[in-house]
Amino acid sequence: MSENHIKPMLPDIFTIPRDEKHPPMLLGGYCRHCNAHYFPKPRYCPRCLEPPELKEIGNAGIIHSLTVVRTKPPLGLPQPYSVGYVDLEKGSAGSGLRVFCLFDPESVDHLKIGQKVVLRVGPLGHDGRGDTRLRPYFKPVHENEEG
Amino acid sequence: MMLASVIGVGMIPFGKHEERTLVSMGAQACRLALKDAGVLPSGVDAAFFSCGIASRLFGDFTIGQNVFWEVGINRIPVVNVENACTSGSTAFFLACNMVAAGQADVALVCGAEKMCVPGFGLISSGESQLDTQLGMVAPAGFALRAVRHMEEYGTTAEQLAKVSVKNRQHGALNPMAQFRDPITVEDVLSAPMIVDPLTRLSCCPIADGAAALLIASPQAAHRFSHSVHVKSSVLVTGNYENPQDLANWETDRRGAHTAYEKAGMGPEDMDLVECHDAFTISEILHYEALGLCPPGEGGRLVDEGSVALGGRVPVNPSGGLLSRGHPVGATGVAQIVEVVTQLRHEAGSRQVQNAKTGLAQCMGGDKDGDTKSCTVSIFSV
Ligand SMILES: [Zn+2]
Repeated sequence: MSENHIKPMLPDIFTIPRDEKHPPMLLGGYCRHCNAHYFPKPRYCPRCLEPPELKEIGNAGIIHSLTVVRTKPPLGLPQPYSVGYVDLEKGSAGSGLRVFCLFDPESVDHLKIGQKVVLRVGPLGHDGRGDTRLRPYFKPVHENEEG
Repeated sequence: MMLASVIGVGMIPFGKHEERTLVSMGAQACRLALKDAGVLPSGVDAAFFSCGIASRLFGDFTIGQNVFWEVGINRIPVVNVENACTSGSTAFFLACNMVAAGQADVALVCGAEKMCVPGFGLISSGESQLDTQLGMVAPAGFALRAVRHMEEYGTTAEQLAKVSVKNRQHGALNPMAQFRDPITVEDVLSAPMIVDPLTRLSCCPIADGAAALLIASPQAAHRFSHSVHVKSSVLVTGNYENPQDLANWETDRRGAHTAYEKAGMGPEDMDLVECHDAFTISEILHYEALGLCPPGEGGRLVDEGSVALGGRVPVNPSGGLLSRGHPVGATGVAQIVEVVTQLRHEAGSRQVQNAKTGLAQCMGGDKDGDTKSCTVSIFSV
């Protein structure tokens, strides 16, 4: 894949998919003492001050809020681009966290509160000095489509 | 119960002051406050200077000593304060606590900012922050709150726009305001969209400017002719818990609640409010957090005219950030200058009739879906 050499915009925020069978996942912090999830992973658990472990915290959820930024974008993001909050699924794979995120630039005009979305990772924007970076973004899932 | 008194105010008009330096603007505001109170430099025991952005823009730091020496103040403790948009109100909070603790009889607070320079874009929290890397810019954080407020409470784009219309009506009466032309709901809605649903006229403009306050301890205040009492001054920080409730701002509410409790007063006691209307939705959220109306009814409050001059509790009689513009480090001080001017009944054509009490609320910075800093101060005569 040509994206292999492109670096993530920050380390330890998401997994990079090796193939179609391994979808990208958001990474966060999990404190086993407090049974608490965090995003992004904090240096120390704010409750007990032990270092949390890096853990996959989910890759699917529901749009809680969204907006479209139409002014000159920062960090080489497309104009316009969409951002919002997604409530990650709760349960075995998900943490139930509400995460701030980018949305798929292709879907800017088709996003709604309550819509199901799934995580993608791809080249999106740069590092502030023009070097392309991988960023995580959420894309709407249609009922007849899986992930 | 009284924390401190404001014995002098000074402010220069906010706007684009290309020919002015940060230090000259700050010094002019300080001079005006000292003259207003009739205090000489030798009568000041401590001084606090705030700016939010100029240090980064101009590579200058510990600017307070430069400003204060221009008005003859040296030797005494000088503190430089940065706390995003609440830099100025944080400096005020510190000065009040210093005089209340008996460490100073008279303290000077000055907030100044110079930010109208080419290429100044949208404010973010810094490139090392995850949210910034994911495209968070200041108006987006508020747009996401607006979208939730509309979803949960049925607040409309017209109600949001009415905040701008009202504040521009007030600003038209304030010679210190940068934008003094009235605008209509239609103007606000048809202005270029910045971040849905916030248009350019829903966002406060940047500005250069400076404002200053002279504070006295309760014991020293009686020596001065016109003093306004500080009943409480509160500074709180975000909670950063997950998930955040975007339509009901816990940090904002907590700041207000603490300030009312310390003042022994409630929202029903307030004659006027200056709040941080960086965006139209911000003001509506602050109505609710400050208890001026029940949760979800902020849109209705502006519809009914209760928060306009002549209404039950005028909010931002100065015209707010939407009319003044927002010189980051000066804003929190300028809000208090307005409340004090109103309580001294010196506000001219924008005077709130019979005003005896007032509140100044300010907020600054984003982190993890919450604000970084929120200040609430309550005043009375
Ligand atoms: Zn823990």
